[in-house]
Amino acid sequence: MTSKIINMAEKLKDAEDRLLESLLQSTPIADDGFSRRVVTQIRRRLWVRRLALPLAIFVGGAISIKPATQIMIAATKLMTVVPQGMFDVPTGWIPQMQIVVLGAMLLAAGMLGIRMLEE
Amino acid sequence: MALHGPRPIVEPATALDGEDQYLVAKAVASQDTTAFGELIRRHQSQIRNFLRKLTADSFEADDLAQQTFLHAWDKLQTFSGRGSFIGWLLKVAYTTFLQSKRKSKRYAEVLDEAGYIAQMESRSYTQSTDEVSDLDKLLAVLTQEERAILVMSYACGLSHREIGDATGLPVGTVKSVIFRGKEKIRTSFDIKDHQHG
Repeated sequence: MTSKIINMAEKLKDAEDRLLESLLQSTPIADDGFSRRVVTQIRRRLWVRRLALPLAIFVGGAISIKPATQIMIAATKLMTVVPQGMFDVPTGWIPQMQIVVLGAMLLAAGMLGIRMLEE
Repeated sequence: MALHGPRPIVEPATALDGEDQYLVAKAVASQDTTAFGELIRRHQSQIRNFLRKLTADSFEADDLAQQTFLHAWDKLQTFSGRGSFIGWLLKVAYTTFLQSKRKSKRYAEVLDEAGYIAQMESRSYTQSTDEVSDLDKLLAVLTQEERAILVMSYACGLSHREIGDATGLPVGTVKSVIFRGKEKIRTSFDIKDHQHG
């Protein structure tokens, strides 16, 4: 009951309301390519989003392929070393790790860069 | 979907809402940009007019309208379909407008700190346009919030509840803001006399 009264009161307009309504009324704005521009921008963003992840994987993969293979080789060497002496770390192991960390950082930076470009 | 011609700013909430909801569902379900394009064509005039009244700058308003539709696309799945689509879009537009104001305020603060005169902030509503119309004078006496709510109510035809949803204010507050805005206009322009003469 109360809500009905409130709704009725909302609909009842006095002369002042009608005057304000007429003052605030605007002539419709022609589209003039506005919607096309927005849709084009949305489509571009969609493409960027679709491409961002595969591209990041590809770039990251390309960067990390060399250190990854090197670490694989080091790991296979380590496998043969471990039974003889558990704590004998191969000399090439530490530098390889640095390359992997660098690769990971580049991958993360690349992904962030792509995200920023997208934004 | 047929391309619609220009529409008046206040549209009756009839079958249009149903069509809007169908287009929203289509756009969400299959990321259909054509359906969303149709929604933009339907509502761009209202959104641009709303933002033009808030900013008093057609270029800034059009930029904000573009951002509004981009945000709307990103958040389209959050449209529940309970209220009108234009009400939801106006909410997005108002949020976009407030965010832009906050950004320009921060920018002005940075300029202030650097020793520059923050012209953007000091520029008043009426000074931002070359030609000051009666409507500009009328809106200039209102605060940002009052302006937005009065425009939503009188120009866009939203109900108090819809305005409450759009602004995040309780219905009672919306009513008091409208009352206060009208009071300001009444006292500033002697509107009752104006309508008789």
